[in-house]
Amino acid sequence: MYNLLRFIHKHHFVILFLVLEVLCVLMMTWTMDFHHQKRVNVTNDVVGRVYETGSNIGDYFRLRKINEQLAAENALLRQQVAVVTDTAQCQYDYRNADTVYEFIPARVVNSTVNRPNNYILINKGSHDGVEKDMGVVSPDGIVGIVSEVSPHYASVMSLLHSFSTISVRFKSNGQLANLRWETSNYRYGIIDDIPTHLTLNEGDTIVTSSYSYIFPENLMVGTVMELIVSPSGTLNKAKIRYATDFSSLKYVYMIRHTDKAELDTLIKHQPKL
Amino acid sequence: MNRFVMQIIRFFALLLAQVLVINYIRLGGYVHPYIYLIFVMLLPISTPNWLLLLLGFGSGLAIDLFMGTLGMHAGATTLMAFCRPGIIRLVSGGMKFENAKEPNIEQMGFPWFFRYTLCMVMVHNFTLFMLEGFTFKLIGQALLRILLSVPSSMFLILLIVYLFSPTKKKAKFQ
Repeated sequence: MYNLLRFIHKHHFVILFLVLEVLCVLMMTWTMDFHHQKRVNVTNDVVGRVYETGSNIGDYFRLRKINEQLAAENALLRQQVAVVTDTAQCQYDYRNADTVYEFIPARVVNSTVNRPNNYILINKGSHDGVEKDMGVVSPDGIVGIVSEVSPHYASVMSLLHSFSTISVRFKSNGQLANLRWETSNYRYGIIDDIPTHLTLNEGDTIVTSSYSYIFPENLMVGTVMELIVSPSGTLNKAKIRYATDFSSLKYVYMIRHTDKAELDTLIKHQPKL
Repeated sequence: MNRFVMQIIRFFALLLAQVLVINYIRLGGYVHPYIYLIFVMLLPISTPNWLLLLLGFGSGLAIDLFMGTLGMHAGATTLMAFCRPGIIRLVSGGMKFENAKEPNIEQMGFPWFFRYTLCMVMVHNFTLFMLEGFTFKLIGQALLRILLSVPSSMFLILLIVYLFSPTKKKAKFQ
């Protein structure tokens, strides 16, 4: 026993070092766990507040750009209002029963684009009605899915994440596909399940499909950059340019599906095949 | 006591500067300068080894909390703190700095401090990007990041340490 204590005392530097490093590796594996995604709760309010203060200061230097973005969005909304009033005048407003989505506006207080897994921190949390798994969109296109919520802040798993897969549809022909990130450049994503009979042109629009209740149907996702024909003649790939510019996100909206609880129970009680 | 307060202020100032300013540098996604290392680099030479490790671990963990990468920076900074006594012996050669309380440019000279920064930054960045690359199987990218990030980290660290150097230089002009 005495010898053990003497040994520890003599080599305390190396032993403490090894203990700390093992602790670090344990923390890393714990946070990288795919199934739980038990990322450390960075969404705690202290970290959120520091980032928000920083972003408040930074915003003064970007007021002009933010104004421009908001003006552009106003213009877009006006245009949509015009379309809606137009369809309302026609008697067959089939989407009338479909208004199950609510939008919660929020400000981005911190975001990354150049890491293998990117998150966005926003200044609305559970007190404002934000819940896990809500869809997040920007004026330009979809952004990601809420992954963690604290009372006043929420952390969003952006499309730029190695686990991110979004169900999308080619607007031109209605073909469904899955979009993932190509993991090196924040502007591009990849679709790798395109049937060979499908012809795609550069600039074809990709929108959200109706197969998810996280995002409403027909939201802008991106455009086709190039079709990569598979040499083995199986499924083709396509490089997609995201509509959202993730490096200059400022304002986003969270989408709440008002019937989500109902849908969840329905899916849970579905007989397993 | 005064020196103690000074270290605490330095810690928080570097932490805030790192997460609110430096982390927003995005040059092609490969340049990641880390200036928070200055805290561990400038700890007094007489700091006990165990405290050095704990402070290195703590400062890395603080950055991790902000960046959502629990364990990565803590691991790299702990290794850097572990290597610090060896690095100081290595870059000093046979030289002795009896009156120097903490590593600085005035007493040790610029070449000494340059070599010291180079070794410390290399150890840190190499560990950090390897941990990242190990996790995501992108070793090539990790190497490119190291190649680009080491010079930028060094430049910023040397600049900041030089700008905040106390008195000695000013005395020359009086």
